[in-house]
Amino acid sequence: MLEIKNLHVKLEDEDKVILKGLSLTVPKGEVHAIMGPNGSGKSTLAYVLAGRDGYEVTDGDILWNGESILDMEPDERAAKGVFLAFQYPMEIPGVAGLTFLRTATNALRKKRGQDELTTPAFLKLVKEKGAELNIDIEMLKRPVNVGFSGGEKKRSEILQMALLEPTLCVLDETDSGLDIDALRVVSDGVNALRNKDRAMLVITHYQRLLNHIVPDKVHVLADGKIQKTGGKELALELEKSGYADYTGKAA
Amino acid sequence: MNVAVMKTKAEQGLAEQFEKVADKLPGSTAVKALRAAAFGKFGALGLPHRRIEEWKYTDLRVGIKDVLPPAVSDQTPVTSGDLIVALGPLAHIDAYRMTFVNGNFRQDLSDWDGATGFEISPFSNALTSDSQSSAIDPSVVTGPDGDATIALNTALMTDGAVVRVPEQASPDKPLLVVFIRAGRTAQLMTVRNVIEAGPRSKSTIIEAHVMLPGAVVDGQTNTLNEITVGEGAEIAHIKIAIDEGKSLHLANSNVALKADATYRGFQYTSGQAIARNQTHVTYLGEGGKLDLSGAFLARGSEHIDTTLVVDHAVPHCESRELFKGVLDDRGRGVFQGKIIVRPDAQKTDGKQMAQVLMLSPDTEFNSKPELEIYADDVVCGHGTTSAQLDDDLLFYCMSRGIPQAEARALLIESFIGEAMDKVEHEALRDALMQYARTWLTNDKS
Repeated sequence: MLEIKNLHVKLEDEDKVILKGLSLTVPKGEVHAIMGPNGSGKSTLAYVLAGRDGYEVTDGDILWNGESILDMEPDERAAKGVFLAFQYPMEIPGVAGLTFLRTATNALRKKRGQDELTTPAFLKLVKEKGAELNIDIEMLKRPVNVGFSGGEKKRSEILQMALLEPTLCVLDETDSGLDIDALRVVSDGVNALRNKDRAMLVITHYQRLLNHIVPDKVHVLADGKIQKTGGKELALELEKSGYADYTGKAA
Repeated sequence: MNVAVMKTKAEQGLAEQFEKVADKLPGSTAVKALRAAAFGKFGALGLPHRRIEEWKYTDLRVGIKDVLPPAVSDQTPVTSGDLIVALGPLAHIDAYRMTFVNGNFRQDLSDWDGATGFEISPFSNALTSDSQSSAIDPSVVTGPDGDATIALNTALMTDGAVVRVPEQASPDKPLLVVFIRAGRTAQLMTVRNVIEAGPRSKSTIIEAHVMLPGAVVDGQTNTLNEITVGEGAEIAHIKIAIDEGKSLHLANSNVALKADATYRGFQYTSGQAIARNQTHVTYLGEGGKLDLSGAFLARGSEHIDTTLVVDHAVPHCESRELFKGVLDDRGRGVFQGKIIVRPDAQKTDGKQMAQVLMLSPDTEFNSKPELEIYADDVVCGHGTTSAQLDDDLLFYCMSRGIPQAEARALLIESFIGEAMDKVEHEALRDALMQYARTWLTNDKS
C-alpha cells in the first residue's frame, strides 16, 4: 500500500512551494488516477516518489508497504518496487537498450536477493514480455530511446516496466504525445500489468487516457493538494467542467 | 655543443646523460654521427615550452624536473607470466607478439612463428648493421622539422619494431608490439618503430605501452613511429599507453599515405603525469583516407595532450578525427588539431571532433582546432564540446535500479564508446573497454 501523508515539497534551489499537504492512499491491486491542471504539482509528485534530486520534502512522509522511502536513493526505491514511467523518457546515446535493461534487471535482481540472469536467459525473458505486450523488441538493439518517436518511447517505458516487475507503478502523463493507436498499445500494456499485488498511480491532465486505463479512484490535484476524490465518473465530470472549480480560474 | 643555451636542470641533465651513454648506444659510426647531430639540434632547441605555439598547453620545461638515465641493454628479468599480467585484457587477444622490456627487444617473450604477411625485426638490427645492407635508414624522419622530442628520439633511440607487410599480404592475426616497463630503476626509454604497409596489403598492428605491476612508477618514454601506407593498402594501428600517474610519455607518429591508402588509428591513453601524442599525417597520393580516433582518461593532476597535424597536400583525400576525453579531479586534457589543405588539394573532405566529459569542477580542457585552407572546393569542419555528466540521465538510470556508481560508469562508457566503436577488431575493442572500465572502478574519489 502506498501512503502519502501531509506531503509538503519545495524546490531545493528556490523558495517555491509546490506540494502543500498532499495526502493519498493507494492500496495494492488498485489503480488510482491523479488529474489536475498544469502547474498543480503532478509531475513533482511523480519525481518525489521516484527520488529525483532538486526537491526538498519539508513535511510529511511517503510510506510504501509501511516503510518510509524518503531517505532512499532512486535505485533503492526501484529495488523496493517503485517504477516511474517518465513523461519524457531520456535518450542515452551509446548504450544499447538491451544492455541498459540487462544492467537494470540484474542490479534489481541482486538487490532483491535473486540470481542474476545470464544473457540467454535475459533475452528469452525480453522476448516473452515483448510478445505479451505486443511490443517489437527490435528497438532494444538501438541506443536507449535515441531517435524514437513519442509512441516508441512510451512503449519502451512500458516494456521496461514489465521487465523490472515493479509493485508500485507511477505513470507520469503517459498519454502525452501519443496518437490514438499508440495510446491503445500503451494502455493495453498497462492493463496487462494490472494485478492484485500491484498498485498504480496514473497521472494525467486529460480524461482520455482513463477511457483506456479505467481507474478505481480519481483524485483531483490542484494548488499542491488533493481537492476531491471520487470514482471514475469524476474524470468525466472534469472533462465537462474543467478545473475551474478547483483553481478559481479556467484551466 | 653549445652549452650556453642549455637552460633548465633537465636540459643540463639530458646533456650529461647523453655524454655518459653515447658510446653504449647501439649503432654504426654513421648512426653515432646521426645521434650527435640530433643531440646538437636538441641542444639548440631545448625542451619545448609554453612560448612555442605548438607547446603552449604542455610546457616540458615546467613538466620535466628530473632526467632519468637512458635504458641501454637493460636486463631486467621479466617472465612470460609477468607479460600476461602486464597486458591485462590485451593478453587474450590472439596476435603475434613482439616484446620489449624497458625499451630493449626480448626474443624470449616474443612469438611470431609462422607469421605470414608480417616481416618483423628489431630496430636495433637496423642501427647496428651497416647502412648499405639495411633496408631501413634510421636517419629518415618525416615529422615536423625542429621538434625537440623527435631530435631527442634520434639521439637516444635504442630499439623498436621494424615491420613490413609485403604487397597484397593480409596477415591472419594482428601483431602486438608490447613495451613493458619493469624493475625498480626509473629509466628513460627511447624507442622507434618503422612500419611499412606494402601496396594493397591489409593489417592490424597494436602498440601497447604498459607497466608491470610493482614496477617503478616514474618512467619516461619517448617513442616515434614512422609509418608508410602503400598504394591501396589499409592499416589499423591501435596505440595504447597505460600508466599509474607518475610517468612521462612522449609519442610521435608520422604517417605517410600513398594513393588510395587508408590509415585507421586509435590512441588509448591514461595514467601519465604528462602524455603527449603527436600525430603527423601527410597525403602523398589521391584517394587517401585517415580515420583517427582516441580516448584519453586523466585524473589526479595527470595531463594528456593530443596534437594532430593533417596535411592534405593532394586532392581527393578524406580525414576523420574523433577524440573523447574523460577528466576527473584536476586532470587536464589538451587537443590540438591542425588541418592543412594545400592550394591543389581540391575536394578535400575533413572532419574533426573532440569531446570531453568533466567529472570534477577542477578539470581543464584546452582545445585548439586549426583549419588552414588554401583550396576553394573543400568540405572541412571541426567541433569541440565539454560537458558534465548529465544528472537527468543519471536519475533515469538509477530510477531503473542501477546503483549510482554503476550508472556513472555506464554513462561514461557510452560516452567514450562512440570513439571505441571505430576499432573494428572486436576482441580488441572489448579489451579497450575493459581498460576503461578498470580505470573507472579505480576511482578513489
